[in-house]
Amino acid sequence: MRTWVLRIAVGVGLLFATIPAWAHHAFEAEFDKNKPVHLTGKVTDMEWINPHSWIHIDVTNPDGTVTNWMVECGSPNIMLRRGFTKRSLETGTEITVQGYQAKNGTFRANGSSVTFKDGKKLFVGGSNPDLPDEQK
Amino acid sequence: MIMRARLALFIPILAGMLWAQTPQWNPPKTAWGDPDLQGMWPGNMGVPLQRPESQGTRTSLTDAEFAQKEARAKQQADADRQSTAASDSVGIGPPSYWVERGTPTRQTSLIIDPPNGRLPPLTAEEQELRKTARGGKGFPGAWRGEADSYEDLNIYYRCITRGVLGSIIPVIYNNGNEILQAPGLVIMRNEMIHETRVIPLDGRPHLNSAIRQYMGDSRGHWEGNTLVIETTNFTDKDALGSNGAGYPGDPGHHSADLKLTERLTRVDAGTLNYQATVDDPKTWTKPWTILIVLKRNEHYQLLEYACHEGNIAMSDILSGARAGEQKESK
Repeated sequence: MRTWVLRIAVGVGLLFATIPAWAHHAFEAEFDKNKPVHLTGKVTDMEWINPHSWIHIDVTNPDGTVTNWMVECGSPNIMLRRGFTKRSLETGTEITVQGYQAKNGTFRANGSSVTFKDGKKLFVGGSNPDLPDEQK
Repeated sequence: MIMRARLALFIPILAGMLWAQTPQWNPPKTAWGDPDLQGMWPGNMGVPLQRPESQGTRTSLTDAEFAQKEARAKQQADADRQSTAASDSVGIGPPSYWVERGTPTRQTSLIIDPPNGRLPPLTAEEQELRKTARGGKGFPGAWRGEADSYEDLNIYYRCITRGVLGSIIPVIYNNGNEILQAPGLVIMRNEMIHETRVIPLDGRPHLNSAIRQYMGDSRGHWEGNTLVIETTNFTDKDALGSNGAGYPGDPGHHSADLKLTERLTRVDAGTLNYQATVDDPKTWTKPWTILIVLKRNEHYQLLEYACHEGNIAMSDILSGARAGEQKESK
């Protein structure tokens, strides 16, 4: 049994009810829908790179060892326009990620859902710096 | 009396309609006397490339259709708020807050000619080519599962380009467009994928036809207040469409003979009509034209999109396919 936190989600059928929207790449080209992951860990780095940002987190495994996972997010451009700034995610913040592991078996996953320890969602939409004030 | 009253009401309405159909607005001029098109003109996602057949030759949504579209947009905005607030659902698609939604408009399709708003049929030659290209694999369009080489993935996946038209057709993000002008030059910048075209207006000839470029070779001139840009010298390794790569419903591959004619007209202080005619007789049986209505937004920032350097997904896709093969061979 590999020791990183990897749970087979209950009700897998429900998970695939959402029709994937096109991002830069098709989900299924990169990630394995048969490998859902549920990760909890502390942020070690945030890579603001296109076409997708990557959050790095240290996940402590049940045997005490630590695995550094990379979690794929949206493009920095859209994240900024959705109100995400460099202050939104400090190093050391504990977050929980639900997603799917990369097909190549590395410690990379997509971040379908990213929440803070208190359950609050990471990405808070609504503030769009590109909108004229009257449209905000 | 009633008749006269009706007529009295009718005439100003008719006059108003005629006034609305003959735009008298003249754009400001640059210091050297050209019409001034400069500024940020981000695209607005949401008008389909092709019109549903049921809408025939109608270019504008009915009140009922528009109300339905607005209701759907509201529903989507609510769903987006849910996904950033309370919901804990996990799907295989990206979270909805990754994407831009756009503001609903009444335009029924980007294609305005042919009058049915639909792509003309492909030539027989192009139909055959799309079947037989690359030893029968077809052109790399939407991902179909193969990843033997990076060349199996389209040039958008590879962060190369979306081509001239794909760079301006609004998609789910990075819809920024900026126009800058200098004496004898117009500069068109697109956020996706950080394209810049420097377009001479001095009447110089196109590049030698042996020189082929993803973004072609553009030459511009003014026809009244309209900037006309003619682009040739394309490669046949590119594609046309909302992602320049031939996703379902997109125009897809074109030949190197493509001639693209763009017409940019500021119709009021805040609106720039962008029309582009695709003339590629090797690929489509007739030319076709799109209209994108761009709205000025001086608050928009054109952000950098250095796509290739951070394209971790490419190596993940290729190595993921190899891992899959190993698993199958065991």
